Amino acid sequence: MSASLAPECNEVKERYDSCFLKWYSEKFLRGNAKTDECAPLFKQYKDCLSKALKERGIDTMVEEARANQKELDAEYMKTS
Amino acid sequence: MKVFSSETEFEYSWDEVSTANWRKYCPWNEKSTHVIAVDTLSRSIDPDTGVLRTERLITCSQSAPKWLQPFLGGHEMSHVHETSYVNPTARTVTMCSTNLTWSDLLSVRETVTYRPSPGAPHSSTRFEQNAQITALCGGWQKVRNGIEQFSVERFQQNATKGKEGFEMVLEMSRKVFAQEREKARA
Repeated sequence: MSASLAPECNEVKERYDSCFLKWYSEKFLRGNAKTDECAPLFKQYKDCLSKALKERGIDTMVEEARANQKELDAEYMKTS
Repeated sequence: MKVFSSETEFEYSWDEVSTANWRKYCPWNEKSTHVIAVDTLSRSIDPDTGVLRTERLITCSQSAPKWLQPFLGGHEMSHVHETSYVNPTARTVTMCSTNLTWSDLLSVRETVTYRPSPGAPHSSTRFEQNAQITALCGGWQKVRNGIEQFSVERFQQNATKGKEGFEMVLEMSRKVFAQEREKARA
């Protein structure tokens, strides 16, 4: 797996990434993705990452990019 | 504005490609070394469509040519924001990326899709890449052209490396999955 930009988050990121990859290949692709069993790990990783983004001062530019996503969502998540 | 497009086929099923895609920038990829980190910002399944939506922050170390450096400032790292959509019913992965660093100078918007190859849908996957590169700095036409030209060339180089690197990841993923199946059986 790839590293985190914040070395202090690497360990929990690694655990989350492994959990996700297993879930993706064994459940999601087979249409059995009822629950997200990796959610608790993701929360831990996200707490670590959010702190790191803030400390490095890149949280605002990330938030700005995230705000411009509406059109993409409309295009790629439409019900056909 | 300059446009960069490319397409290619991977001789792996869409399931394999869409899975390996999540670890495209792992150490198995010895080519795309400019990508130093990939972080997941959010992940959810759309209840209406079943589409898996993921936002990631990609961190690159990339040196620009000397003449460009005064315009770019002293950034050693650059960041890209990517939103991806995996539609398990239509069997498509769509990834839309935009640059966060130098965004007042340059807009790079890339869309990548992976879908089963029309010719061999069970064994082969088509990759399509499209990028629009626009220099935004006012005034100096020469500088704008230079920035766009440099960016397109860099894009081209990274696309070639990206394909070679991803081939390595696909090969390793297939081996590892086979080993795991073997272990599970034993």
